[in-house]
Amino acid sequence: MVFSSLFFIFAFLPVTVILYYSSGKHLRNIVLLVASLFFYAWGEPAYVLLMCISIIINYYIATLFGRNDICNRKNKFYLIISLVFNLGCLAYFKYFGMIISTIASMGNWKLNGGTPALPIGISFYTFQSLSYVIDVYRGKTKPQKNLIIYALYITMFPQLVAGPIVNYGDIERQLADRRVNLKEFSFGIRRFLCGLAKKVLLANNIGVFWSNVKNMPGTEISMVMAWAGIIAFTLQIYFDFSGYSDMAIGLGKMFGFHFKENFQYPYISQSISEFWQRWHISLGSWFKEYVYIPLGGSRVGKWKLIRNLFIVWFLTGLWHGASWNFALWGLYFGTLIFIEKVVFRKSMMVWPKAIRHIYSLFFVVIGWVFFEFTNLTDIFCFLRLMFGIKVNSFADNQAIVELKSYIILYMVCIIAASPWPKKVSLYFRNTYSNFYRLAVNIYYCILLFFSTAYMVASTYNPFIYFRF
Amino acid sequence: MNNKKYFDIIKNFLDMVPILFILAMFILHLVLPNKTFSTEERRYLNQWPSFHIEKVLNGSYGTKVESYFSDQFPFRNFWIQIQEDCNQIIHEIKTEENYSHTNYLK
Repeated sequence: MVFSSLFFIFAFLPVTVILYYSSGKHLRNIVLLVASLFFYAWGEPAYVLLMCISIIINYYIATLFGRNDICNRKNKFYLIISLVFNLGCLAYFKYFGMIISTIASMGNWKLNGGTPALPIGISFYTFQSLSYVIDVYRGKTKPQKNLIIYALYITMFPQLVAGPIVNYGDIERQLADRRVNLKEFSFGIRRFLCGLAKKVLLANNIGVFWSNVKNMPGTEISMVMAWAGIIAFTLQIYFDFSGYSDMAIGLGKMFGFHFKENFQYPYISQSISEFWQRWHISLGSWFKEYVYIPLGGSRVGKWKLIRNLFIVWFLTGLWHGASWNFALWGLYFGTLIFIEKVVFRKSMMVWPKAIRHIYSLFFVVIGWVFFEFTNLTDIFCFLRLMFGIKVNSFADNQAIVELKSYIILYMVCIIAASPWPKKVSLYFRNTYSNFYRLAVNIYYCILLFFSTAYMVASTYNPFIYFRF
Repeated sequence: MNNKKYFDIIKNFLDMVPILFILAMFILHLVLPNKTFSTEERRYLNQWPSFHIEKVLNGSYGTKVESYFSDQFPFRNFWIQIQEDCNQIIHEIKTEENYSHTNYLK
């Protein structure tokens, strides 16, 4: 089940809200846990078992830590068991197929590993489980004694399938006791609707432009078309992913949880390092906390820094998908960040703001080519088109017609990706506080209205066989 | 004082409008009778799927329920019309351009 589906919004959500608020306080965690398991089992019934096993093992290991002094040998042993189990599951279910096909292609063998289907959200809940176990091992948090509360932390449906990766320490208290008032609840709905509109109205529609470009034969794509296409993808992936995070944060608020922000206008960044502090923040901080800093972070010699950056960015890239292009995408950013840290250092601050902005956007947009195409030939073929090498034309008629028809959507997307809407909203809140709430609610109702129309229309499926 | 109280009630009510809309659509979905055929789409609409434990276990039951839910969504044709109109407004220039293009060809 995805958040941006009719069934989720108009059936699962109202039923869950009604059950949650009509049950007594002591039952609310159980209601939310059952709803979350139902949510997960909806499309993936078999893998609920895997998730439950993972929950029980990690829960049990964490309680074992509690019985010993911090960081003794026994604890280390338990930690290693947990790491092997969690990373082993992730490696098997997510990367097994990739590893087998890589080995097969290296030795020219015919290997058929029988790749398992990817359990939804495994990358997210594995990382959450790891952060919990490591934090308890380090003595940063106490182990959770109540299995239901721990299970709820892992399975909570708002963040289960697409993040953000929530740190246990951040919501420890809320898991045990939380209060929601009408104001927070309605804020949660509005946040959810904001995310829904980003996904349904912006990401899906601008995505059509990109898939049109992607499906064109390489010889027919002009340079302008290639750039317009990849910029459309740049916008699509931002609204898709940040929309999903907004929906998660909003749903969390509706049930009394306060998740940290996962996106902070990444496309206004003035350096690549800044981009990664604004893009998928929860993943970045996970790698920083559990990989980069334990390796020594930045306060090491040049060679060690290269090693650390290589490991972190290789893994960050690969986390996004079981394909080498993601690793390449990660290393591409690792290299840029190394250059910023070692070569440019503070000299970048002297550059005019506009130049820094263009520089960052330019490399981010190029980066999406590595992200979007899975094989190396396609990546270089598309980059060649973007830079006008062996390209048929700079701009053809089709590119101009297509661009014109999407110009409104482009403009809306660019404005929506900037902090301006929020600034305007804050201005109105401070100046016309009486009408602000009315206007905001009307605005979100309009968003819901149109999002519903687009969601219904996406299932419009006319039977056209009779035409032939 | 009374005025402020009423104002607060109105404000709180306004905050609840989106969730009330969602609830209303959910209730309408339950109450309105299922349709069998769509003349606009020239096809039979999905009905509530029959329960089979194998279907539940392989995940296809969920997909079928979702298809049923969207096919029987209240005022389905109205929503589709709204989306078509919106698309026409957003891509207005495209249609004009296409017309001018065909005129030019003539």
